[in-house]
Amino acid sequence: MITLEGINRIFQVGDQQVHALDDINLTIQPGEYLSLMGPSGSGKSTLLNILGLLDKPTSGRYLLEGREITSLSDDEQATVRGEKIGFVFQFFHLVPRMSAFENVELPLVLAGMAPSVRRERVNVILEQLGLMDRAHHRPDQLSGGQRQRIAIARATIMKPSLLLADEPTGNLDSRSGTDVVEVLEKLNAGGITLVVVTHDGQVGKRAGRRLRMVDGAIVKDERG
Amino acid sequence: MLSRDFIGFSLSSVMAHRTRSILTTMGIAVGIAAVVLLTSIGEGVNRFVLAEFTQFGTNIVAINPGKVTTFGAPTGVFNTVRPLSLEDSDALNKIPYVTSVVPVVQGNAEVEGQGRTRRTMVYGVGSQFPGAFKFGVAAGGFLPDDDPRAPRAYAVLGSKLKNELFGEANALGERIRVGGDRYRVVGYMQSKGQVLGFDLDDTVYIPAARALDLFGREGLMEIDVLYAEGAPAEEVVAGVNRVLISRHGGEDFTVTTQQQMLDVLGSVLGVLTFAVGALGGISLLVGGVGILTIMIIAVRERTSEIGLLRALGATRQQILRVFLGEAVILSALGGLMGLALGIGGAWLLHFLIPAMPVHTPVSYILMAEAMAVVIGLAAGVTPARRAAAMEPLEALRAE
Amino acid sequence: MRPGDTARFAAQSLIRARGRTLLMLLAMSIGVSAVVILTGLGEGARRFVTGEFASLGTNLVIVMPGRSETTGGAAALMAGETPRDLTVDDYLALTRNPLVSLAAPVMVGAAGAARGRLEREISVVGTTSEFLKIRHLSMDRGKFLPSGDPSRAVNVCVIGEKIKQELFGKEQALGEWLRLGDRRFRVIGVLATGGRSIGVDIQELVVIPVASAQALFNSPGLFRILVEARSREVMPRLQDQIRSTIAERHQGEEDVTVVTQDAVLATFDNILQALTFTVGGIGAISLAVAGILIMNIMLVAVSQRTREIGLLKAVGATRAQVTTLFLSEAVLLALLGGLLGLFFGYLGTTAIHGVYPDMDSQAPLWAVLAAVGVSSLTGLVFGIMPARQAAALEPVEALNG
Ligand SMILES: Nc1ncnc2c1ncn2[C@@H]1O[C@H](COP(=O)(O)OP(=O)(O)OP(=O)(O)O)[C@@H](O)[C@H]1O
Ligand SMILES: [Mg+2]
Repeated sequence: MITLEGINRIFQVGDQQVHALDDINLTIQPGEYLSLMGPSGSGKSTLLNILGLLDKPTSGRYLLEGREITSLSDDEQATVRGEKIGFVFQFFHLVPRMSAFENVELPLVLAGMAPSVRRERVNVILEQLGLMDRAHHRPDQLSGGQRQRIAIARATIMKPSLLLADEPTGNLDSRSGTDVVEVLEKLNAGGITLVVVTHDGQVGKRAGRRLRMVDGAIVKDERG
Repeated sequence: MLSRDFIGFSLSSVMAHRTRSILTTMGIAVGIAAVVLLTSIGEGVNRFVLAEFTQFGTNIVAINPGKVTTFGAPTGVFNTVRPLSLEDSDALNKIPYVTSVVPVVQGNAEVEGQGRTRRTMVYGVGSQFPGAFKFGVAAGGFLPDDDPRAPRAYAVLGSKLKNELFGEANALGERIRVGGDRYRVVGYMQSKGQVLGFDLDDTVYIPAARALDLFGREGLMEIDVLYAEGAPAEEVVAGVNRVLISRHGGEDFTVTTQQQMLDVLGSVLGVLTFAVGALGGISLLVGGVGILTIMIIAVRERTSEIGLLRALGATRQQILRVFLGEAVILSALGGLMGLALGIGGAWLLHFLIPAMPVHTPVSYILMAEAMAVVIGLAAGVTPARRAAAMEPLEALRAE
Repeated sequence: MRPGDTARFAAQSLIRARGRTLLMLLAMSIGVSAVVILTGLGEGARRFVTGEFASLGTNLVIVMPGRSETTGGAAALMAGETPRDLTVDDYLALTRNPLVSLAAPVMVGAAGAARGRLEREISVVGTTSEFLKIRHLSMDRGKFLPSGDPSRAVNVCVIGEKIKQELFGKEQALGEWLRLGDRRFRVIGVLATGGRSIGVDIQELVVIPVASAQALFNSPGLFRILVEARSREVMPRLQDQIRSTIAERHQGEEDVTVVTQDAVLATFDNILQALTFTVGGIGAISLAVAGILIMNIMLVAVSQRTREIGLLKAVGATRAQVTTLFLSEAVLLALLGGLLGLFFGYLGTTAIHGVYPDMDSQAPLWAVLAAVGVSSLTGLVFGIMPARQAAALEPVEALNG
């Protein structure tokens, strides 16, 4: 379970202050499927980054599974990211010199897992995503949809409880976009908490809970 | 993260930019090769010189008249008011462990034989000379063990002098003149070749007492005392001091052990080798700057990769190690390449100029490689820390 | 494109990538300053030695007892004794030669020197009054040895500054007695400091009349005879005449070695020149390493600036222009690094000169020119490959890459 209480995020740009998040209060239940929409600059990515421990709120409390997260040290946050949180980015962020297999394997390597265990787990997930035959291709030899599916495989290989996706379909045509969304939803059906930021109304509509942000505040919170 | 994964990770980025990595490696390689080659030459010369000295044996103590060495040379060559006598030389024979004692007077005179004359070095020595200095007699015998004060007028020729005067003919029993005095040749020596520029074959050996007369000297230039293998040098020196001080009433002589000389010589040559190696090290420094530059570029280029790794749960420590590892791999590979170049170069040099003594001790090889690794670490620290200090979000944004 | 524009273009790219430009300048300047400082040191040593010899007078001829047929002059230095000594009479015979302007006999040895309860072993030189002038020494106090018949033993001595300090301290030394071996000598002068000539520290010397030295060491043999020729031209002739004069006096036997100061000097000069060259060469290896670095960085720059190159080509830049552009960048880097290195090298040699004023460690002009030349050349040579790689890029590919 995730609880945000009175989260503010203020950016200092020169002598000007940008209030990117304005007193956000939000509770997310395990296994929920959220979509986050709103105009450009409304603070969606900022909120997602705070949820993913990539950014720190200026004020407020963040409880992840009952644990206060914001006061953790840098390394402890890194460990939480590695074990509990998965990211999917708009621009995939695959390491260009590594094969698909190696990219997916990366979190396991960082966690210090033995190679034999790693191989098995990567193969299982690539099988599930139908990418077995692309395992040894480098990112520049893959299509956008394939790249994003590799990125999803990488985000979920550690079996995180929270999956965060920032415009995962933003760089894809609608066919592969739908493919990617289906993969994400399948994972959600398996029990993972899923938060998707999107500009695409069609994608946003599919979520069980739909948030709308304007000027750093949550203005709408619909379910069902 | 497993250590082999660290290596694999760093290696993959080194391999990804092949040309760049090879060139960076080459910078270090040239530096290491220079260091290895130069120290090999230094060490080769070092060993060569030490071998030249130790061929006479290491258990020798030399005694010179006078308390200090003047003008950088043993005082014996110059004048002194306190001579060492043949009797002193005799007395030293009774010291424990001493196996032989050789009085030495050295000079330069005209030697005449078979109607030919030649100016050569004249050594006035005792009968124990060949044994003490490991000089072999080729024919006949060395000077007999006569009364040191009244030895017979016998002479022994160095191999070159023998050839110059007598050619292939037999010289034993022939008469020669040394500085005008008549001597009978009783033997000649095996060739010893040149030692540090001095031709040891263009010499004639005569009894020390006769050399003193010939040169009108009062005292010996040197007394060399040979002691038994394994005997304590300090005790021998103490014995020499005891005997000579009681005879002279004071310490008016200088005792030098061969080991002291070798130590001084060794340390001088060691310093030289080090200095030459350090000169080569300048290139290594430049190579280190090369690694630094390339690593800074690598960190800048891979900013978003760093962000990704951090998002995937990598700690700062892990990022630091990955980039340090990369720098060390570059320098270690460069080191290996440099070793190959340096050792190959040394070998080639020896092959082309056989007179050039080269030697590459294993310890130098290990040290050079360790030095390469240390340079990699030193050059990698700044970029790696820069990488580790990046905020994950900003790094992810960079493009 | 005008050369000025090319240079501006190159300079702009260098300034834009400031960090790496500075590092490359650092690398190049380490190489150049290493060459400058090392050759400066070598040259300084050479000048020092040459200066020392020159201060002894270049018209000097040295006569040594002993001669060896195998190794020539070098062995004679260590020859030690000869059956027939070089004597004061030999010296007097040489002074009668019209080609000789000055001559001094030299006898050396060691003796215990004592004054009161202070005692130490001392280097003793026995000579005549001419020694002062031939060795270009000067007096601090008192007088040097009196001139007069060299075969007369006068018990006076001249001491070096250090001996004076050690045996007399702050007390007056002139007129005092000093015991050498079993004889007593009256101190008549103290040598000025600063004179340090080839291995012998003037400050630690006691000078006595040659006849007194003969008596002290109970030997008639001289160590050297120093002869100053009237002019340089007569030196070869003088050498021959010395040999024949001595041979005549030694029953026809040529048992001395006669060398000129110049010959000794030339040997030293050659050795030190070779040393300077070697050391400079070793320093120059680092220039090659810096060259490799420049090539590496330029290759990186080409791959990073692929788009820029594509754009340039799209707006009509020719292959030659692109090549020139990147090549100028490399050469500019090398040249600037070289100049920076000269500056550092100059600082280094100046610092050395500050610490050791005796060392006039100016890098020779050839080394300076070579260092800058080689550094620019490395820039050119190592810049060619990246520049050609840039020029070979296809505009369309470059724009998309
Ligand atoms: N690092 C930063 N420094 C300064 N201002 C920032 C920074 N990051 C975000 N902002 C500002 O915070 C506000 C919210 O930005 P955010 O990226 O969260 O918007 P977004 O809703 O994700 O927009 P988009 O839909 O265009 O991605 C914006 O006004 C933005 O300018
Ligand atoms: Mg956004």
